[in-house]
Amino acid sequence: MRSYWFGVIATYLHLIAMATYVGGSLIMELVVGHAQKSIPPAQAQVMGEKTADRFLLLAWSALGLLLVSGIMQAYAKSVEPMLMGDGLFDSGYGWSLFLMIALWAVLVVNGSIMTFVLRPRLKGKMGAQVGAAQVQARQGHLMKTVRQMQWITRADLVIALLVPLAGAGLLHGNGLFTTGVLAPLGLG
Amino acid sequence: MAAYVVMLAWSVYLGGALVMELVWRPAQEHLPMSQIGVACQVMGRRYRWLALAMLAVIAATGLALLPGRGPGTLTLSTGYGRTVAALVGCWVLLVALVVGMAFAAHPALHARGATELTPEARAASRAGVGRAIRRMDALLRVELVVALAATLLGASLPSGGML
Repeated sequence: MRSYWFGVIATYLHLIAMATYVGGSLIMELVVGHAQKSIPPAQAQVMGEKTADRFLLLAWSALGLLLVSGIMQAYAKSVEPMLMGDGLFDSGYGWSLFLMIALWAVLVVNGSIMTFVLRPRLKGKMGAQVGAAQVQARQGHLMKTVRQMQWITRADLVIALLVPLAGAGLLHGNGLFTTGVLAPLGLG
Repeated sequence: MAAYVVMLAWSVYLGGALVMELVWRPAQEHLPMSQIGVACQVMGRRYRWLALAMLAVIAATGLALLPGRGPGTLTLSTGYGRTVAALVGCWVLLVALVVGMAFAAHPALHARGATELTPEARAASRAGVGRAIRRMDALLRVELVVALAATLLGASLPSGGML
């Protein structure tokens, strides 16, 4: 175990990043999204756009902080060789760490799709001289994009609920696969 | 499992406070006042119960986790015991803040005056709402600071506490 304060600060930053991503996603879905339905569609669209823009920034910051504070935690616990794959699959702790990193990577991929592919599609505007068929096609395209975003958001929520499960195993023991709920898998 | 539940409940609580401060508050600037009022009311109604439920879950699962530390650690003569005591203090303060916001500060934001008001009474009513908004802002910031302090205390517990 390395410096006490280094470990505490690493855990603190990790918890804040996790709360921002996990709690933030849930509150955006359950509270902000719910309130959005209570105002007229034009204002709801503005509210959705502004809150989503800001939350996206917050979510990316949280994913970055999760990575940095996760590496700091590995150093604090002197298990940093595992981050290079050294003995990663030899213990329940290593398996849990691998699970967390894998889930984090999925969140980054999903976030990239949302930020760089789907959201720009929603922001594109049509020219004034377009026909009804083009408007209809554009609306269909927008609806499809919104549905894809909803699916990714839901998948992210499920993953975001799984990440703290792996984290709790690491913080309070030797990981999920030895003493936690996944112990029957026998990967310890 | 208790460690997971307490972590998740705390994440929802702290994440909610952060979203309100860093996402919703700046987004309000782009909406008309009347719609902010409606959205705030709907959001506040749901958020207050969610926050109180999360604080209740944190208390229940936190209590369930304590015996696992072994006998003799929960006294004020140990760093762990003092940190847990400070966490309990933060929890009581957070419950008081959420209850105060939910049942006093938030309703004051949406207080409606009578339809037939003199210009002076209307101005006084507006000033009252302005004061309520400033009070709510201050309470939300205090809540966030206490929640962040509690997170630091909680982060030190696996290493034996920090006080």
